[in-house]
Amino acid sequence: MPHIPSILTHFSPELILVVGMLLVLTYDLWVRGREGLQANLAIITTVLALVATLVLWVTMPGSHPVFEACGPGAKAGTCRPGAFISDDFTHFFRVLGLLGTLLVLISGQTYMRGRTAFKGEFYALVLSAVLAMNLMAGANDLIVIALAIEFLSITSYILTAFLRHDGLSIEGGLKYFLYGSITSAAMLFGMSYLLGIGGSTSVPALAAIARNPELAQVQGYANIMLPALALVLAGIAFKIALVPFHQWSPDAYQAAPTPVTAFLSVGPKAAGFAVLIRLFVGSFSSLSASWLGTMGLLCLLSMVVGNVAALTQGNVKRMMAYSSIAQAGYMLLGVVSLGGKTLMGLDSVGAVLFFILTYVFTNLGAFAVIIAVEQATGSAELGAYRGLMRRSPLLAVSLVVFFLSLVGVPPLAGFVAKFAVFGAAVTGGQVPLAVVGVLTGVVSVVYYFGVVREMFFGASEEGQPGPIRVGMGTTFVVLVALLMTLVVGLWPEPFITLANNVAHSIAPALQAAGGH
Amino acid sequence: MAMIPLWWYLMVAAGLFTIGLYGALVRKNAVSVLMGIELMLNAVNVNAVAFWRYVSPTAKAAAGADRPVGDFVVGMDGQVFAVVVIALAAAEAAVGLAMVIALYRSRRSFNLPQMDQLQG
Amino acid sequence: MVDNWGFIAVLTLVAFTVPLIGLALSWLLRPHRPGPIKQTTYECGLETIGDSWVQFKVQYYLYALIFVLFDVETVFLYPWAVAFLGLPLFALVEMVIFLGILAIGLIYAWRKGALEWV
Repeated sequence: MPHIPSILTHFSPELILVVGMLLVLTYDLWVRGREGLQANLAIITTVLALVATLVLWVTMPGSHPVFEACGPGAKAGTCRPGAFISDDFTHFFRVLGLLGTLLVLISGQTYMRGRTAFKGEFYALVLSAVLAMNLMAGANDLIVIALAIEFLSITSYILTAFLRHDGLSIEGGLKYFLYGSITSAAMLFGMSYLLGIGGSTSVPALAAIARNPELAQVQGYANIMLPALALVLAGIAFKIALVPFHQWSPDAYQAAPTPVTAFLSVGPKAAGFAVLIRLFVGSFSSLSASWLGTMGLLCLLSMVVGNVAALTQGNVKRMMAYSSIAQAGYMLLGVVSLGGKTLMGLDSVGAVLFFILTYVFTNLGAFAVIIAVEQATGSAELGAYRGLMRRSPLLAVSLVVFFLSLVGVPPLAGFVAKFAVFGAAVTGGQVPLAVVGVLTGVVSVVYYFGVVREMFFGASEEGQPGPIRVGMGTTFVVLVALLMTLVVGLWPEPFITLANNVAHSIAPALQAAGGH
Repeated sequence: MAMIPLWWYLMVAAGLFTIGLYGALVRKNAVSVLMGIELMLNAVNVNAVAFWRYVSPTAKAAAGADRPVGDFVVGMDGQVFAVVVIALAAAEAAVGLAMVIALYRSRRSFNLPQMDQLQG
Repeated sequence: MVDNWGFIAVLTLVAFTVPLIGLALSWLLRPHRPGPIKQTTYECGLETIGDSWVQFKVQYYLYALIFVLFDVETVFLYPWAVAFLGLPLFALVEMVIFLGILAIGLIYAWRKGALEWV
């Protein structure tokens, strides 16, 4: 019986999350008297899953398929490829997702405390969302991809609408849901065509057909492959919030409880890029001539619309929504620069991974500050930041650092990341997009500076509000994020090496070919 | 017996999908939009099962990239996909209806154009 | 030539004629005495109040939700049962885990009071 060991080892982080999720969900059914420990239970679960992932990564390198299926009549060696792959690439996104969630849980704990009576449900949903992200990171079969994306979507809808007595929260959740379910239905429709062409939902089987259309299982339908892939791309682009699939994101970001907003701004994006890279760069690179143009357009629109629309926002959560759309555009810029080489031998996929790594920490740091400010002032409007420098120098200065990193100012992590991506774009034949990226990056200074101006120079005359007491959790998250932003900026070598190794594990064929 | 050609099924599915998409985009009642989405998902099922029925069995073994793929398992992909989509549709409908009901409680309306409190 | 569509045509014909025969027979045999009382809506012998477009109690929704859970569960259970004899032991373990998670869901709904009619 070859399945059981491979599931228990290479699928262990996910199993830990499932068990932890069920425990957190039913905690208050079994335990009486010791209320409110669900958050700690969720944090412990996340840490355990993180440890399991790191142990797997260190002790069992290489690619390990899970859920290889063998038919009863199948001869030895004729099993279908694993539906889930546990390799360096999966580990990278597992670690990012789990770390990100950990930071969100720590910084959002006190925020959720007074706002909902459904603690167990909230933390169970967060754990489900991480589980879904892990599944997306390793999905190697259309069924698993569809399930994981839907799983993440459905948990995100509920999390967004979690404060159900708040009309805004419900409205944001419902908008997210309506956009999301329409795009995911379109994605599933595209997948059904891929299934028809391949006779199989296995991604390697489909990749083989992409290389050699003669293998198509239903004759004469191979030409549906590109439209079908476009529909799948739309579904993924929705999760990442790329323009024009972004309309849900400002509303959902503004309406969601702020820790959820923080989670939405990194989790689904990172997981979406995991699927995007594994599917398009890893498996369908033979069709790159066809999808590069479409993705380039998405990238261009995301960078321009994200940065321009952020200029006029009066709500910081909404502004961060547009800012994160723009950041997703920069990440996609790395994806479309296939074959580009950038600093220290980093290739284009590695540049994207490195960018995501820095983005996760910087953005979560910024959101930790936003959560703290909202707790103190009850608002995420721009005016709530007035005089923040005087009320809490730690929060104000850290937010400035995070914003500078998001803009891409040396010597911060965001600078190295942007440099890497733009470098890949220039050498990978996407010079016009790189130029647009640099120009829109300059525009982004304006809206970040709007917040900074309020914090430093917006002294209010009437009634000096007192200093803000910053909780332990927030301080911890802000300091971790600050540390990462500075360390990755000043000493990027180990992280670049890491990103490069991970990138090599996903697209070995691409490395061998050395570009297109 | 003459077999109904595959593309007939595909046309039905495409029609269903288009009707569902139209409904989801045009209807103003939130529940009607949910029904449109269900139609879209059913189109996926029609496609999946039709393709499953028509995939040529002789070609199945060649589908694997690096190694051959077991006959039985590959053969069932279409049906498995349809079953999974049915489950997804149920989960989505449950969450969607819950949110519509919660919205109704705060706005006393199922009308989508009234969802305009979030603007930037 | 009777091919697939022929069967469908015959089935359709039969499906329409059987109820028509029933209706026609009862129309021929029954006495014909119309009256205003006979035109009113019949509902368990009581007078009907209001129109039928009333709102359903939201409680029905919770029941429907839990029903859907087990409805969809059957979708997975059925093919598993059909193929059961050809499956390895691991499939049994998997199904037990699957049912276990669903059972936890049901217990959750039960303990949270979703099954109580209020």
